[in-house]
Amino acid sequence: MLRHLLGFDVIRRTFWLRGKPGPMKDYYAVDYATLDTPWHDVEFLAIDLETTGLDPTQHEILSVGYAPIRAGGVLLGEARHMLVRPTRPIPEETAVIHGLLDDHMESAPPLEAVLPEVLRALRGRVPLAHFATVERRFLSFACKRVYGQPMVVPYVDTLRLEQRTLERRQQAVVQGSLRLHAARERYGLPRYKAHNAMMDAIAAGELFLAQVAYMDTKAPPRLDEVCSG
Amino acid sequence: MDVELIEIRDFIAAHHPYDMLPTEALDTVATHLESRYVRKGRHLINPGDTVGHVYIVRTGALETRDPSNELLARTGEGETVGAITLLRGGPALNTILAIEDSLLYALPAETFHDLRKRHKQFAYFFQPLGGERLRTGRAVSNRGHGRLDLMAVHLGDMLRRAPVTIEPEATIQAAGERMSKEAVSCLLVTRDDKAIGIITDRDLRNRVVAKALPYDTPVSSVMTPDPLHLTADDYLFDAMLMMSRHNIRHLPVLRNGALAGVITTTNLVQAQNTSAVYLVGELYKRDTPEGMRDSLAMVPELILQLVETGASAHTIGHMISTLSDAATVRLMALAEQRLGPPPVPFVWLAAGSQGRHEQTARSDQDNCLVLDDSYDPDKHGEYFRAFTRTVCDGLNICGYVYCPGEVMAMTDQWRQPLKVWTSYFSKWIDQPDPKALMHASVFFDMRPIFGNHALFQNLRSFVLKKTQGKKIFLAYLAANALSRQPPLGFFRNLVLTRGGEHANTLDLKHRGIVPIVDLARVYALDAGAEAVNTLDRLELAREKGSVSKDGAADLRDAWDFISTMRLRHQALHIREGKKADNYVSPELLSNFERTQLKDAFSVVKTMQGALATAYQTGRL
Repeated sequence: MLRHLLGFDVIRRTFWLRGKPGPMKDYYAVDYATLDTPWHDVEFLAIDLETTGLDPTQHEILSVGYAPIRAGGVLLGEARHMLVRPTRPIPEETAVIHGLLDDHMESAPPLEAVLPEVLRALRGRVPLAHFATVERRFLSFACKRVYGQPMVVPYVDTLRLEQRTLERRQQAVVQGSLRLHAARERYGLPRYKAHNAMMDAIAAGELFLAQVAYMDTKAPPRLDEVCSG
Repeated sequence: MDVELIEIRDFIAAHHPYDMLPTEALDTVATHLESRYVRKGRHLINPGDTVGHVYIVRTGALETRDPSNELLARTGEGETVGAITLLRGGPALNTILAIEDSLLYALPAETFHDLRKRHKQFAYFFQPLGGERLRTGRAVSNRGHGRLDLMAVHLGDMLRRAPVTIEPEATIQAAGERMSKEAVSCLLVTRDDKAIGIITDRDLRNRVVAKALPYDTPVSSVMTPDPLHLTADDYLFDAMLMMSRHNIRHLPVLRNGALAGVITTTNLVQAQNTSAVYLVGELYKRDTPEGMRDSLAMVPELILQLVETGASAHTIGHMISTLSDAATVRLMALAEQRLGPPPVPFVWLAAGSQGRHEQTARSDQDNCLVLDDSYDPDKHGEYFRAFTRTVCDGLNICGYVYCPGEVMAMTDQWRQPLKVWTSYFSKWIDQPDPKALMHASVFFDMRPIFGNHALFQNLRSFVLKKTQGKKIFLAYLAANALSRQPPLGFFRNLVLTRGGEHANTLDLKHRGIVPIVDLARVYALDAGAEAVNTLDRLELAREKGSVSKDGAADLRDAWDFISTMRLRHQALHIREGKKADNYVSPELLSNFERTQLKDAFSVVKTMQGALATAYQTGRL
């Protein structure tokens, strides 16, 4: 995995050299911490997207929420929540799930206006999400569409960390036990009532702090021990 | 603030002292917070750490321990930890560790200090002790009249003797000898007339004996250096707060920079006693029930202060019942003044919680009158009817409202000569039907308040002789004692009251305290013990073997825990201007308190089970 991760640096450097001036080039200009850094010296960005579906080529991002993690703390005051104006009407079943209504979304900025904010927040930070596949694929696809370059970066995936922990303890992974709230309950974390991208990002960030606290390593875990590549 | 943080802001806003902050200030708090996680058993702060935050507990619980591992504080949900260190400045002295997995919201020192500067009430809550705290305290406090004079007594006036000191090079053996010779519980360690440390009897136990240190160890190596202190101009109230906040029992007092003496918890308790004694004195000076009611208006404040000083529920119950006794005696004296001397001897008995010395904020009146057998209803009936009516009416005015079950001396049935009372008890004991058992549990807890005590002795020895070893009656009484079960479910979860005014609460009185009182009564009667106070009964029953040693100790702890929780709950209600009741919402308890409460209820449940087996109540 280490070599695989090292690969990120080369690719990121190439994109930075080749990129046109703009938010994407600025993003690639700043590197995240090296992989042997103890986790609490690494800056993370807990991030959560709400989307109309799971396929980035067909579905759209409806909102982005994030919260930075620095020195072992989730910075609540720097957490942000941004709605994104979709290009097509939201399918009804999605609107019910997220409580997002068309008329809320109409006044929201388009993805092109939101993405620079997100990239600025991600600069020099390792993104973190619960079931990071969605965030990784949607963000990379959006960057490619808007700036012509994908977003290449290792993620921390709290779902995979949780799965790993359960497997190591030889506990059966039953359906639903890896969901954000079920995982949080195991660590005595509170159940937040609000469900939106920002509170879910904060919730995933806090889950990460708990997971790290329960990693039985002698020294504080290093970035490569919490990253899933 | 991002509007989505409302959920976190609302959590903060629901807890004291943040609930006193305006919305804008709460927004500021929310936008400066950081979530931190501490795993159970791990340390949040170690001695020597630089502290840059205070921590609001979102979930979990923490303990603060001093370098000798003495527990200073437990912090649960919604409470703030780390403020003392931050306010004192400098590196941390104590250890703060998580006793449960804890999610904390860290508030930066800068924001915390800014909030204190801008919001007086908030500052008051965290204020380091001193004159300034007193002034803002007066401005903020709206408790109004009825304050006892803790705010008026200067510490300088409390000092009884010059401080007993020792030099730092002296051995601990010499220290122990001096403490014993001077009959003091602490020594100030001085160099050039300056206190550089303090050593207490507790230190000798924890830091010397427990660690098996040699007797020639110098005092300086076990003393607490640079002890907290106050000055002679500070108030008794300051001392009380500082001692309860830091869980210390000795406080050096300086006058003009020089050592003047030491204030101890014993001094404080005496001062509290003085308040109660003073109140008794005041009651005896009143000529009307209305005047007595005004004096008794101080009682809730007295309870508040006693709870804050850390007095036990046992002590508080005694003190409050003593005040009720005084009010009753004064009312009888007034009645006699009006009606003339009683034509035959009598004794006034308190029953129920007053009889047991277990009254709280406000209780109903439970009382009765035993008359000499020379009583003739035709000749003396009118006098005692008027006499008891006057006293019971007076008690009602004072706030001891009429007993809903009419267990009062003004009820004809409960104002009878000794021979009638003995026939009552005979009937209850021989034919224990439900009503008889109800009466028995009230009247078995009687205590003479005023009059001819010999009448009471006669009645009591008759009753005890009749009940001791009377297995059938005791079995019925035991079955009755099991009628109220603690609110624990199948999986040791707390079962809440359903519906009605007190939905989703725990009834601490009827489901926690009354079952223990009932158990103790059965044990005591079985042992033929005279005591009526629950803790006294448990002690005597243990000595006579009607309850196991461990069982008695567990029940004692359970009674103390639940009673203290109830008193604190009532004190808080009174402070908020609400009526004191027995219903506690478990949501307002920390995880830690909930666990302890479950433990206390489990004890009751276990002991009820043991009682059911011992008396075979299932066969009745």
